[in-house]
Amino acid sequence: MAATTRQRSGWLTANIVTMLLVLIPVLWVVSLSFKNPATIAATGRATFWPTSWTWVNYRGIFSSSEFTRPLLNSIGIGLIATFISVALASLAAYAVARLAFPGKQVLIGMALLIAMFPLISLVTPMFGIERALGLFNTWPGLIIPYIAFGLPLGIYTLSAFFREIPWELEKAAKVDGATPFQAFVRVIAPLAAPGMVTTAILVFLFCWNEFLLAISLTSTTAARTAPAALAFFTGSSQFAVPTGSISAAAVVITIPIIIFVLFFQRRIVAGLTSGAVKG
Amino acid sequence: MRSRGSGKTDSRRRGPRLLAGGLTGVLAGSLLAACGTSSAGTGPVTINFYNFSDPSGAVQTAVNNCSTQSGGKYVITYNKLPAAADQQRLQLVRRLAAADPSMDILGLDVTWEAEFAQAGWILPWTGTYLQQATQGTLKVPLETATWHSKLYAVPYNSNTQLLWYRSDLVKTPPTTWTQMINDAIKLKNEGKPHLIEIQGAQYEGVTVWFNTMVASAGGSILTPNALHASLGAPALTALKIMRQLATSPAADPSLTVQMEDQNRLAMESGAAAFELNYPFVYPSMKADNPAMFKHFRWALYPRVNPNVPAHVTIGGIDMAVSRYSPHPQLAFQAALCLRDRANQLNAAVKGGLPPTLASLYSDPALFPDYPFHADILTALQNASVRPKTPAYQNISIVISHLVSPPASIQPLSTEPAMASQINDALQSKGLVP
Amino acid sequence: MTTSTEVVTSGEPAVTGASGRRRLSEGARAERRLGWLLCAPAVIAMLLVAGYPIFYAVYLSLQRYDLRFPQLAHFVGLSNYGAVLSSSYWWHALIVTLIITVVSVAIEFALGMLLALLMYRTIFGRGTVRTTILIPYGIVTVAAAFGWQYAWTPHIGYLVGSNAPLTKTGSAIAIIILAEIWKTTPFMALLLMAGLSLVPEDLLKAARVDGATAWQRFYRVTLPLMKPAILVALLFRTLDAFRIFDNIYVLTAGGNGTYSVSILGYDNLFTALNLGIGSAISILIFICVAIIAFIFIRIFGAAAPGTTGR
Repeated sequence: MAATTRQRSGWLTANIVTMLLVLIPVLWVVSLSFKNPATIAATGRATFWPTSWTWVNYRGIFSSSEFTRPLLNSIGIGLIATFISVALASLAAYAVARLAFPGKQVLIGMALLIAMFPLISLVTPMFGIERALGLFNTWPGLIIPYIAFGLPLGIYTLSAFFREIPWELEKAAKVDGATPFQAFVRVIAPLAAPGMVTTAILVFLFCWNEFLLAISLTSTTAARTAPAALAFFTGSSQFAVPTGSISAAAVVITIPIIIFVLFFQRRIVAGLTSGAVKG
Repeated sequence: MRSRGSGKTDSRRRGPRLLAGGLTGVLAGSLLAACGTSSAGTGPVTINFYNFSDPSGAVQTAVNNCSTQSGGKYVITYNKLPAAADQQRLQLVRRLAAADPSMDILGLDVTWEAEFAQAGWILPWTGTYLQQATQGTLKVPLETATWHSKLYAVPYNSNTQLLWYRSDLVKTPPTTWTQMINDAIKLKNEGKPHLIEIQGAQYEGVTVWFNTMVASAGGSILTPNALHASLGAPALTALKIMRQLATSPAADPSLTVQMEDQNRLAMESGAAAFELNYPFVYPSMKADNPAMFKHFRWALYPRVNPNVPAHVTIGGIDMAVSRYSPHPQLAFQAALCLRDRANQLNAAVKGGLPPTLASLYSDPALFPDYPFHADILTALQNASVRPKTPAYQNISIVISHLVSPPASIQPLSTEPAMASQINDALQSKGLVP
Repeated sequence: MTTSTEVVTSGEPAVTGASGRRRLSEGARAERRLGWLLCAPAVIAMLLVAGYPIFYAVYLSLQRYDLRFPQLAHFVGLSNYGAVLSSSYWWHALIVTLIITVVSVAIEFALGMLLALLMYRTIFGRGTVRTTILIPYGIVTVAAAFGWQYAWTPHIGYLVGSNAPLTKTGSAIAIIILAEIWKTTPFMALLLMAGLSLVPEDLLKAARVDGATAWQRFYRVTLPLMKPAILVALLFRTLDAFRIFDNIYVLTAGGNGTYSVSILGYDNLFTALNLGIGSAISILIFICVAIIAFIFIRIFGAAAPGTTGR
């Protein structure tokens, strides 16, 4: 099935055009991070790339722990919350997709309710609870809410995936003598891998981007995450908007994401091709 | 069979994730343990000072100095608040409403005292503390910290606007608004940079502009007892001038999204001839555009009435003591130290923030970095304050929505609409936009 | 009777017989128990975190409650809702929100489908393309919004000359929509690509052998099989779009008439500290969002989770 030259050049063009359109705003942020804050304004039309490149913004954000610590917090809190949330969502989604039990609709409804409810009105009572429990400004204080708010998306996505996995595979494995658990691990889980990886990426990015809870439930860099830390950046005076620092921080924050996605993107479609039934 | 191949992918995918999860779990655990053991044992008391993040380093120096000067009685911890004023207020309000005992000294914006005092969140200053706080302090900043005749905070720094202009374009600075707008139009006809930079975005800054104009026209936004809107003829004058500027060629095309920093950038880029802004633009121009700095001058804020000086609305930070502080007496002492003469001088020199102690304005140490000190002092002595009421946030939103964009102001209909909406806001009736 | 003891977890109909009724309920009961057991951790987590706050928010919406004066709080029934629904600010915000939601989700769906096809089927550099496409979703929203704001500010940005599009309602909303689309199309694309991967290759091959064109294959085979993934993508994306906040807050702070219902809620809840009105606005936002979700689930019917695909 060798692709024709026309097909290949077609795909290549599509690739390049897409990547350009997607990347130009990103490159703009990168360019802002290398511009000297003093010369950001121009008389006429501003240039896209800096007239003189400088590292001053990057030096600035790494000069204190005001940024590095929140970055670590983001990574840690994000990974833990994603791991637990996807695990819990998998269990629930499997039950929803496979089993018959009363209360299934209630569970789905509850998950949707939590996904739909505006977070702004939940912040103040959550703040009160966390203070009472001593969770304010701690890692669990953010991890636990993120788990809960990542569950709806996880349950919905994963149940959509579990539904599509054919029953016959599980039965075939059992006929071959596997226990239900073995059947799950050997046959179902690999087929569900694309769904689990997709869900993991989406839940992690939700935790990564989340701002309202991060700024309301933390008070120091002990638990503050990166998006909230951006709100503490100052420019050279209290009126200055720290464009350079924010852009530099944004670039630095995005690098772990790129690594994370690069690592997992292959798994998104791994394993689910025809032949599973035949094999 | 198929499953064996998939199994390999499966464990390879799970392994690293489990490891990452485990590692971060351990990390989290150890961090938690560290968090918990901070304030065990006897020793100097920790006073928690919450303030905006000061980029100049002056506040940190003050904190260090005062901790040392206490002679072992207390150690001040400088906790930073977010950069934006409304985010700062949110953090403070949320924790004060929850009676959080871990806040002692609060750095308040000058418009919050009435609200916090009425809610019972901050302590009044009495006795020797009151005396020390008021001695030598400028009158108008003290007024921002007073509510129902009691002092609820001690002024730390103030801030006020001046007229900044380019002497290569304008030989003598205008003294009134009408003059300034005419000068700008003249410059436009000569093909030179002619814009007047002022804050026109829909935020607190445009409320400040409006308050300045109303006060300079001889009026005020609220009645003296702060129970009703006042406005009236002075407000009409103010609205007319704001609309006049916004519809004239002197208006910056981005006026309706401009805040202080955008004004500064526009001035430094050479597009503008006049700028109404805080003194932070001075060291910035010096660093960013040395060529233009040679012609960069200042004058007093333009008048509305040629015979009456302008009453520029002040900003600044006052320090209050939280009602829930476990060590209020030490907090009062620490606050007084943080804003004492030496620390205010340092803040002015390093950070460009106008001091609130009158004697500093004749201190030669101030002059090199603060050549405009005389004009700042004059401005502060004639200054006005924003309406003092616990409902100030609501009023500010109402005003900013009615005067921004300034070009769409219709004075005769905007004034009554503003009066009625302000009266509603004072009763906390209805929604804010 | 010893047939099919593996009835327990696969949910197949049990064998009936003399003791059939008992075994049916025993198998079904075991299935129920397993179902509850598997769902329990998720349910507990969600209830613990959001249960009390949601109740409290509803409770607050029935009170007149100023955070500064908690001792003055009192029950006012539905008058907060009356105040919100009779306020022109609410309706303006609702219209702005609906415009942004409908336009951005529609465009995101179309673009997301195209991107999903590209990510799934491209011949070159699949990994690079996929990673690149996901980068916008990975940049912190606030930082990306700052980037857009500066891009559209005269004298600083590369997208404008000397007029300022962020100062006019129409163009400002268009820019907000652009920022939303750029940021969250990857979310759609990712979910849709995962949905694409569920379509079995041999079905498509069979269709091609039968002479179907590419469009027919897409429309008749791929799209229907992707329905569950499409439902999840559209549903969650719409729910999120309706509650848009970050982009508007940074780009225009809601000024010049660009405020959405979330910004209205934020202003009343946090700036005015009016917990009663703020909570009422939140509940109304929730009701609107629930209506949208209901409509979607109605349309997609059998593709909803919890319904069996068998």
